[in-house]
Amino acid sequence: MAEPTSDKHYEDRFEFPLWRLIKERAEEKDISYHDAMFEVVPEYEKTIRYGDTEFEQQQIQKRRAEQLALSERERKLQRIHEGG
Amino acid sequence: MSLDKTADRVIETDVLIMGGGIAGCYCAVKAASKGLNVTLVEKAKTDRSGSGAMGEDHYEPVPCDGVTPLEFVKLWQERQHDVCGDGRFVDLNIPYRLLDKATWVLDESEKIGITMKWTNGEYYHMPSGWFGGPRLMIRVHWSDIKPKLANAVRSSGVNVLERTMIVDLLTNSGRIVGATAVNVRTGEFIVIKARAVVLATGIFARCYEPEEPLFYKYQMKYHWCPASISGDGYAVAYRAGAELANMDITGWGYRIRDDLCISYGNFDHGDGIRAKWYTWDGEEIDYPTAPLYREIELKGKDPIYVSQEHLHDDYHRRMEVSFTDEKLISFKISEDRMFNPRKHRYELMENHPLNFMVPTGVYVNEDFKSSLPGLYAIGDCATGLHGCGNAALSGLWVGDHIDSNTDVASAPDIDEAQVEKQKKIALAPLNVSRGTEPIELELSTRYVCKRYVGMFKNEGRLREGQRRLHSLKREFLHKLMAKNPHYLMRALECRNITDLVEVHIAACLERKETRGQFIRLDYTEKDPSRDNMITIQRSENGQAVMEIREAPDLKPEYLKEEK
Repeated sequence: MAEPTSDKHYEDRFEFPLWRLIKERAEEKDISYHDAMFEVVPEYEKTIRYGDTEFEQQQIQKRRAEQLALSERERKLQRIHEGG
Repeated sequence: MSLDKTADRVIETDVLIMGGGIAGCYCAVKAASKGLNVTLVEKAKTDRSGSGAMGEDHYEPVPCDGVTPLEFVKLWQERQHDVCGDGRFVDLNIPYRLLDKATWVLDESEKIGITMKWTNGEYYHMPSGWFGGPRLMIRVHWSDIKPKLANAVRSSGVNVLERTMIVDLLTNSGRIVGATAVNVRTGEFIVIKARAVVLATGIFARCYEPEEPLFYKYQMKYHWCPASISGDGYAVAYRAGAELANMDITGWGYRIRDDLCISYGNFDHGDGIRAKWYTWDGEEIDYPTAPLYREIELKGKDPIYVSQEHLHDDYHRRMEVSFTDEKLISFKISEDRMFNPRKHRYELMENHPLNFMVPTGVYVNEDFKSSLPGLYAIGDCATGLHGCGNAALSGLWVGDHIDSNTDVASAPDIDEAQVEKQKKIALAPLNVSRGTEPIELELSTRYVCKRYVGMFKNEGRLREGQRRLHSLKREFLHKLMAKNPHYLMRALECRNITDLVEVHIAACLERKETRGQFIRLDYTEKDPSRDNMITIQRSENGQAVMEIREAPDLKPEYLKEEK
């Protein structure tokens, strides 16, 4: 990954997938982005695992483990800093 | 002098609501449904004004997982402790009511055509954001919440005055009897006689730098901090003699640079996946509180970045849907900035306050009554309330209960001398040709806050800030000029901002301790005498009065509650 403060890091053009769909629908039907959004979002939502509690818990636990490890590392550094 | 000669228009109403955001609209609809004559005054356009102007993607609290109101109060307090430190800072019966009546709000909303249900017709409780705990937040498709509420207000027969700014409240014998207002398109001066006044103008934030680097355009467009929040409700209440609470509590504001937005409903909160924070050279750090941020600055490790790179693609797509509910423009802004949240990191704002926090505002009890008879405060304008759920509940509650208050024998008796004085203040800038632009004074005041108050306070800086503010007010307030009525609004906002900054600095000077994110470099410990205390400020015959008062605990009957 390019260094975050460099221009190179931001060179690639990016389009949010949902935004692309909204723009396409707006152009196709000659309607506003706002109106296109109401058509596109319900379709897009079907691709998302809302309410899949097993999946969600898995993601939460994964992140939780990372956070706990970070907190533990910080505590250790703090103890060293304090001469403990 | 006759009132008809002083005012261009005189309106009589049962209930005057100041501010047409989510709280104000809910209140107006409910009060009108009870047969009351309601007037709603909004300085912008009700269809797209207030913190919900661009939409909302989340709503809380909604009961779930068997959480009782008593348990909710504890959770609520834990959340406040992150910013305020330990102790209670508001009447705890307020958060109790928030959950206790939450289901009633859902039902009432449905009645006026505002649904909080998800696409599948059910309430969608998101996983709790902080690694477990009850799921009290729901996702909502509220991109059009404001136009829908504005329609509900209009069809309820409420008299809506848009592009109209309240100048000050009118009092008589210690009671609120109405307000004066000015139309910021025509300059029409209006007197509104009211049996009760409800303040619903949101939180106060415009004394600190909003969104950099485009601050000249008032780019403070995050959904709970729109450009309009100049503390108008706080200021008119204070000048009328009502109590303000905890005007010392500003936390470090979690903001993103470059106009980029996070999706609140997902990011770091609702959907349960915590963000990651990094120093500029890529070292991962804990959630950056103000003291940690300062430590990193001193080590030369800032800017601090916040990241979503670690999220599963499913969560990135959830984020996109959130954007459509809350800020569709975010797609365009990100595209223009070449920003891709899947691989780029957001730069956090610098370490200084950006707005006042939940315990600040017009001091109210659990019925949202202020310390002055006839005056209520709802939504973010009131102490202890924050967010759209709190706005909806307090608005509905006051709208539902206000009739007993308005049941007075005689019509409000207006003091004409008071009206005349307020008219002079309101219209004076139209007669100044070589004066000060409101934005000049506003930016100077913001600079005082940033330089002399900030996150890390001491007596010397605060005193110097106080002196400089007095100097600015003395020298420039009367020189504010308005080339047209629109600038009258800016001038009046300036008056409100400078008055509130004076209150803010006085509160910070009085609090000689460090607690939570209130940090005094000259008083680094907690002062036990401030445990559970509220800083109360009011104006008495033009003189500032301060009182340190114990925050009410839960009522005994609430404490007895068992799960």
